[in-house]
Formats: sequence, C-alpha cells, structure tokens
Amino acid sequence: MRVDLIDRLMQASGLCIRFFVYCTLMLPAVIVVAASLTADNTMAFPPAGLSWRWYSAAVDSPQFMGALWASVRLASVATCLSMLLGFCSAFAINRYRFPGRNQFQTLALSPLVVPMVVLGLGLLQFFAWIGLNQSYVGLLIGHTLIMLPYVVRTLGTGLALLDRTLEEAAQNLRARPLTVIRKVTLPLMLPSLISAAVFAFVTSFGNVTLSVFLGMTGTVTLPVQIFTYVESSYDPILAAVSGIVIAVTLLIILAIERLVGVSRIV
Amino acid sequence: MSLRDPVVSLERLEKTYGASVAVNSLSLDVAQGELLCLLGPSGCGKTTTLRMVAGFVTPTSGRVLIAGQDVTRTPPYKRDTGMVFQNYALFPHMSVADNIAFGLENIGVRRQEQARRVKDMLDLVELPHLAARFPRELSGGQQQRVALARALALNPAVLLLDEPFSNLDAQLRIRLREELRNLIKRIDMTTLFVTHDQEEALMLADRIVVMSNGKVEQIGTPTEVYETPATHFVANFIGWCSTIEGRVDAQGVLRTDSGFAIPVDADAGPATFVIRPEYVKPAAEAGAAGCHHATVRSIGYYGAMCRLRLDVSGQELMMEAHYPYGKGPRAGEDIPIRIDAAGLRRIR
Repeated sequence: MRVDLIDRLMQASGLCIRFFVYCTLMLPAVIVVAASLTADNTMAFPPAGLSWRWYSAAVDSPQFMGALWASVRLASVATCLSMLLGFCSAFAINRYRFPGRNQFQTLALSPLVVPMVVLGLGLLQFFAWIGLNQSYVGLLIGHTLIMLPYVVRTLGTGLALLDRTLEEAAQNLRARPLTVIRKVTLPLMLPSLISAAVFAFVTSFGNVTLSVFLGMTGTVTLPVQIFTYVESSYDPILAAVSGIVIAVTLLIILAIERLVGVSRIV
Repeated sequence: MSLRDPVVSLERLEKTYGASVAVNSLSLDVAQGELLCLLGPSGCGKTTTLRMVAGFVTPTSGRVLIAGQDVTRTPPYKRDTGMVFQNYALFPHMSVADNIAFGLENIGVRRQEQARRVKDMLDLVELPHLAARFPRELSGGQQQRVALARALALNPAVLLLDEPFSNLDAQLRIRLREELRNLIKRIDMTTLFVTHDQEEALMLADRIVVMSNGKVEQIGTPTEVYETPATHFVANFIGWCSTIEGRVDAQGVLRTDSGFAIPVDADAGPATFVIRPEYVKPAAEAGAAGCHHATVRSIGYYGAMCRLRLDVSGQELMMEAHYPYGKGPRAGEDIPIRIDAAGLRRIR
C-alpha cells in the first residue's frame, strides 16, 4: 500500500506545517499577554506570579496613554482622509478610461513598493522644503500616503465586483449620479469600505518608521513611544500596553463581526 | 401630442464600436399601448438598441425620441422610461417596498403618497404580502414581478424589458408570459422588449422587429413574420423551415437542380422559396395526384408530434406529423407525402 503511505505522510506533514504556522502567528501575542500579567519587575515568560499591577501602571502613565490617544487620533483622521482620496481614486480607475490611467494606478500603489525608510527620508526633505517639517499636517500626510495603496486596492476590488446593472437600475429610477453613489454604490460596498478602513487604521496605528522621521516634539505616537521606552528600560509596562492594544483590536473586530460579519469582509 | 403620435421613435439610429457595427441605421416607431418586440440572436444589436432608448448607450448617430422629445443626449435619469433588467437588478440592501419606492423618492413624491403607490403596485403584481421581504428571499418569478412593479411605479412613458424571462424555468416562463401580457394590456403600457426566444416573441408581441447583425430584417405582426417571412434569415430564425432554391419555368413550375419540381404561383426566373414543416403532410397512399416520394433521413420525437427530415428527389424538406403509437416510420424508409402549395413563400 505505497499510495496509502504517501497519503499519510502528506497528511502528517500538512498537520505539522499548519501547527507551526498557527503557533508562529499566535505565539507573540500569547507571550506578550502572559508576560504582562507578571507580578515581578522584569518582563519574562513564563511570568512570575499573576497580577494586574502593570495594567494599572500603564493606564496611570500619562506618557503611554497620551501616546495611545495621539495614535488613535492620528490614525482616525488619516483613515478618513485616505478613505476619501482612495474611494475617489478607485472610482476613477474603475469607471473611466483616461490617459495615464495605468500610471495613476501604479502611482497609487507605489507607497507599498518604496521602502518606508526611503519614503520617510524623502518626505522629511520635502516637508522641510515646503515648511511642513515637524508638523501635525506633515505627519498626517505621511500616514495618509502609506494607507492609500491598501485603500485603493481594497475599494478597487470592491468596485470591480459590484453589479453595475444595480447602478443602471438606480439611474433608470431617476437617481442622479451622486444619489446613485449615496444610495446604491456605497451601501453595497460596505464590506469593502470597512475592510479598507481597518487596513488603513492598522497600517497607521502600527507604523514606527515614518512617525520617527516625521514626528514632532508635541505628538508622539504609541509605537514610537514603545520604541523609545525599550531603549532605556525593559519593564512589563510595555507588555501591558501591548495587551491593551490587542484587547482593543479584538473588540473592534468582534464589533464588526456582529455588525456585518468578518467573513464578508476578509 | 395626439394619441396617434408614436411614444418612442428611433430615427436612423446607429451604434458602432470601433470598426464593428452594433446597430445599423435603425428606424422604428412604437405606438401608444403597443407591445413591440426586438427579436434576434445574441449579438444582433437588440439589447444595444434597448439600452440606447434607456440612455445607457450613446448612439453614434441618429435620434431617439420619447413622447415627441429628442432625448438622444439626455442622461438616463432624466428619461421617462422604466426598465426591467435581465437579472432584475433589485437592490439587495432594500426591502421589496423600498425597492419600489426608490424611484418615487427620487422624484420627490411625499411619503404618504409613496406608500399608497407602493401598495397599488404590489397589488397590481399580486404580491402585497411580500412588501417587507428582501430580494434574496424571493423566488425568480417573484423577483421578476417586483422588478416590474418597481419599473411601473413611476408610470413611465415606455416600459423596457430586457430578456425578462431568460432566468426562469420553462413552465413558469409560459405562465408568467401570459400574465405579463394581460397586465401590460390592462394598463395600456407602451412596451419595448428584447428576446432571443422566437416563441416568446410570437406569443407576447403586437409587432416584432426581427434583427440580425445590427440590421432590421423584417417588421411585422407575429402572423406576418411567421407566415410571410421577408428574408431567408427570418424564415430560418422563426420556427422551422425548409429552403427550396431553383428556377421557375414558363409553365410556373419550380425546378431545382437535383430534379425536385413543384408548381408555384410566380413569374419565371430564378427564385428561392421556403416552406414550413406543417405544410408538408404524410399522404394516405402513394401514386395520388400531387404526391411525392420521400425518403426519411431522420426522425425526431417531440411528444405531441414528430419532426422528420425528408429527402424528396434530392431536396431536403422538413415535415411535422403525428403518428399513432408505434406506427411512425424509421430512418431510411420511403413514404408518400403531400406538399400544400399554399405554404410556399417566396423570399428575397
């Protein structure tokens, strides 16, 4: 029974690979959350004892909470901006045939290809030149820029999958172009819109490189704060902050799941 | 505008995509209350024509008039048309009632009036109990009727139907066809519809426009188009038929090169005739006057009748006949037949 043997071997190796992949995906989060619950003064896995003390320390730290809010605010505003720009770009690329359309599409996706360091350096020079250096607007533009590829891609796919006859039906029922977008196109694209927004938010929320380059004295984002903190000390407050971020992300995903169903989005 | 004026007029309408011609100089008038069908195989330009009336396709040249007004350059949302799409295009995120109210809302009808109109429309298509349902919860036939109600809610000048039955199964199709015709006639709605199904066209339409390769082959009532086809294409596309090509001699007898001969009512010269299978009948006995000998090439069983492919002196003819159980001829058998000369039609 040679074939049987090969089948079983394949099955077993498949199982091993899956186990390995899941572990690698899950382990960092599990380790961080476990470490954050330690009662000791050093970050260690497995944790020594169980306590919430580092969580209360994190919540009480104006340094970290300020950075968290700064990050949330920045990511939210940048998400709104990139969604607006991204939808317009995706709409134009999907619906119209204009000269330079392919180049425009490539341009919209290019922040994915250019290394973040190069982008940060370039933007730093550029902003210094136009006087946006070390400003909130500069940081906002930078973050919007790195979100755009995800938004344009996701919304472009959503638009391509949309049944165009539904829009024609709306037009036939006396809906003006903007009414068609408002009442038919956007509601039908809700899954794509949410998924694009989540991608965009996460991209900004986790970004270090660009924020380091464009960061200003007043606003420090959470990833940058964590990064700078690690350079000087290594206590479990970092793990607790990470734990908070993981919990918030999970909550958002659960809320979306309840509202529209993650399976429809991803 | 008087009642006699056409509701829809197409004047030398033309649409080209690059080098290919989708619709070639089409002129057509649709009268008030008329049910007109654009019939043809896929790619003949019938859907393009319908979409030019709705405004989704801009003609390369020519004019579209609706209720006497030139709408050639008018966007779809300013045209007085109501369209039922092939896939119905019901808005999946709206209930049946909201789907029907959509157009009313867009033209600013008051809420109370909207509700009344939606109810009237649902009554018209006999689905008042489904107002709160969503499209995905409806059967294909119900979806079609909701799409119809939605299109009629604005009381358009012309109703446009794009292959309205192609997504339904055969049994339902026939039933809904009759219902649709009754409904349209009851409200006296001018209707333009597109189909590739000749049976559907014959049964539904007041007038049929047969199209092929972007050109009009014939315009006429179902009887005219079926009984007196103008061209070879029409004869072959609508129903079954056999083509007889030959030369009419001085005695008024049509003779083919293979030796088949039959008297016809036509002037001498080369001519092409068609004959429908129902005009070819099995003869009671061989040797009677006007009788031909035929060899059965193949026989197809269709339940109510059999369709036979015959060889009559080298000429292929189709015949429809009903045989009692177990009495049908077999392929290769020789049988006597009669040809009803009244069924012979000369074509261009």
